[in-house]
Amino acid sequence: MMDGTCPLALLAAGTEAKVADIRAGKGMQARLFGMGFCPDARVKVQCADRGSIIVSVGDARYALSRGIAMKILVGCAKETA
Amino acid sequence: MKREIRIALTGNPNVGKTTLFNALTGSRQHVGNWPGVTVEKKTGKASRNGCEFEVVDLPGTYSLTAYSADEVVARDFILDEKPDVVVQVVDATNLERNLYLTTQLAELRTPIVVALNMADMAEAQGDPIDYRRLSAFLEIPVVRTVGTRGEGLQDLLDAAIREAETSPHHEHTIGYGNEVETLIATLVDALRTDADLSGRYPLRWLAVKLLEGDENVLAMVRGGAAFPRVEGVLSSIDADEYEAAMADKRYEAISAVLPQVRKASFREMSPSDMVDRVVTDRYLGIPIFLALMWGAFELTFTVATPFMTAIDTVVAWLAEFVAGSIEPAWLASLLGDGIIGGVGSVLIFLPNIFILFLILAILEDSGYLARAAFIMDRPLYALGLPGKSFVPMLVGFGCNVPAIMATRSIEGEKDRLLTILVNPFMSCSARLPVYILFAGVFFPEQAGSVVFFLYVLGIAVAIASAKLFRSTILPGEASPFVMEMPPYRIPTAKTALLHMWSRGSMYIRKAGTIILAGVLVVWVLASFPFGVEYGGAESFAGMIGHVLEPLVAPLGFDWKVAVALIFGFIAKEIVVGSLGTLYGTGEETLPTALLADPGLSAATALALMVFVLLYTPCVAALGVIRKETGSWKWTGFSVAYGLVVAWILAFVVGHGAGLFMGGM
Repeated sequence: MMDGTCPLALLAAGTEAKVADIRAGKGMQARLFGMGFCPDARVKVQCADRGSIIVSVGDARYALSRGIAMKILVGCAKETA
Repeated sequence: MKREIRIALTGNPNVGKTTLFNALTGSRQHVGNWPGVTVEKKTGKASRNGCEFEVVDLPGTYSLTAYSADEVVARDFILDEKPDVVVQVVDATNLERNLYLTTQLAELRTPIVVALNMADMAEAQGDPIDYRRLSAFLEIPVVRTVGTRGEGLQDLLDAAIREAETSPHHEHTIGYGNEVETLIATLVDALRTDADLSGRYPLRWLAVKLLEGDENVLAMVRGGAAFPRVEGVLSSIDADEYEAAMADKRYEAISAVLPQVRKASFREMSPSDMVDRVVTDRYLGIPIFLALMWGAFELTFTVATPFMTAIDTVVAWLAEFVAGSIEPAWLASLLGDGIIGGVGSVLIFLPNIFILFLILAILEDSGYLARAAFIMDRPLYALGLPGKSFVPMLVGFGCNVPAIMATRSIEGEKDRLLTILVNPFMSCSARLPVYILFAGVFFPEQAGSVVFFLYVLGIAVAIASAKLFRSTILPGEASPFVMEMPPYRIPTAKTALLHMWSRGSMYIRKAGTIILAGVLVVWVLASFPFGVEYGGAESFAGMIGHVLEPLVAPLGFDWKVAVALIFGFIAKEIVVGSLGTLYGTGEETLPTALLADPGLSAATALALMVFVLLYTPCVAALGVIRKETGSWKWTGFSVAYGLVVAWILAFVVGHGAGLFMGGM
């Protein structure tokens, strides 16, 4: 893991961050790019109460299982609100 | 001269693509399957200025990487079928992500028109998009559309005609920067030596996909003349690096365009987010979900009742009219007892099914169903089922046929198969008449509780079976959950009704044809050999009943019940009607006849209800299981598993109840 990054799954609700890297398998990676999760994209965790989280990226909202959210690394050193 | 133009509609999920498709083609639609996969294929016709259009609705995709069956279908259609124009439906309120797909489509060198859909919503949010400037930047025609109100359809078709006739098409692709472009150029040079590939696909697109590590494209190149050189290039680089870098470049290009076409706006918490706060709340989420579902069922039954009574009256009148006025008697029996009685007993559930589908359509169009799947994901995941399986399970209470069709939205093959296999245990409305009859006769005081127990038992068996299959024949975990939460919208009556109609009419067609064939078989079995009493012991049906009696005797069932159960295979509500025939009474006096039968006790009645709940899915459901799994093996498994489970549980429940109540 790079310095100052942590998995999206670990952020609390309401936290904003910038995507640093995606470490998913080939197909899932391409789909996440298509959904708007690419390096430097701004994301915000809307809901983190459950097994899955709701994340907004741009104007879209997605429910992601924590397994996938673990594979999206975000910069968290400076960006956390 | 009459021109024919073929349009492929593509776009991200939840951009109003299907609504636009419906608006373009109206009722001139055909629904089928893509060959080899269980992805729905919808085609329709439209016309404009002497042009005939064939519109093909491609599955919604986020990218053109062949990850799911949907994406493969969409990509192959554009590449191999070469439609005259590809129309990408774009959600104007979510431009950035939607344009990502546009950048990929552009590389396919196919004529493109962008339909900037839900433009009214973007405008209402104070974020209007200058579609003319967008068009100039993209070098692609952009048309403003509002699918729900049918705005912009004519302009869209006009643009499609123009694009279809413009040739040649220059490439409007993204530049990926010097390093990547050099690699692309080398790969294109290499690929040119493969005559077969270069005749069929745009080489630059192939090169881009190779750099992204697309395995389908690599497989196409493998074995061809260009492969050694391609492999040489690819082995010298780290493809993982490039995939992310190229995605970056695409978004970079998009974010350079966006400020030019709309006011830079960073929306604060939208109304959607506020609603989400409440409906996905840790404590409130599940109660709200349960209240809505309970309301849906309550509405389904209360609103449907007058319609059901009306249908019942008409069917009864028709049957009587036919029986009284048609000669010869056998023809009157075929039409009255067989066709009208049999098909009528199924038609009576149409109001239920249509109303349930209407409510589901409203919940789906409003955006709530996506939240419900999110809320239910964790409980279902614990059972080994994907969150998306909850809609098919819910629909299963109405009818398993459309429920099994609804499993198409589930991505993983195993997840889907599992959801299909456990679905028949959700007690469909066809089983209700059986419960009402027997619970009413044998448990007049506790009828409601008995029916409730049966529904719960069905759910419990579904859950236990899911657990069992996960640890035996379908090992693994439910696939990870990725689902878009579309913004809440107020559904329009037109789209909700169309939605309801397209699902409900499928039930009429599919179930109707199979059930008609089924009731004819029952009638023949009950009427022959010639001259026997209809459904009597001497008829073929009676003979079959006697042969099977030993098999069900341990459950306390006699030959009449065995026959009724066989008939119930065609549609479970037929169990009631056939018992009426076999006891030689109409349905009104059947309760008296049942009570008078010394062979039937309350415990046996309970066993019978449990058996009807769980035994083999009806013919219509099996037809769909066969179609959706594409396998006779799984269809056969579903029959066998249902019978075994039904037998065991009916035995246990019947004898268990017998201990308390006596008389098994």
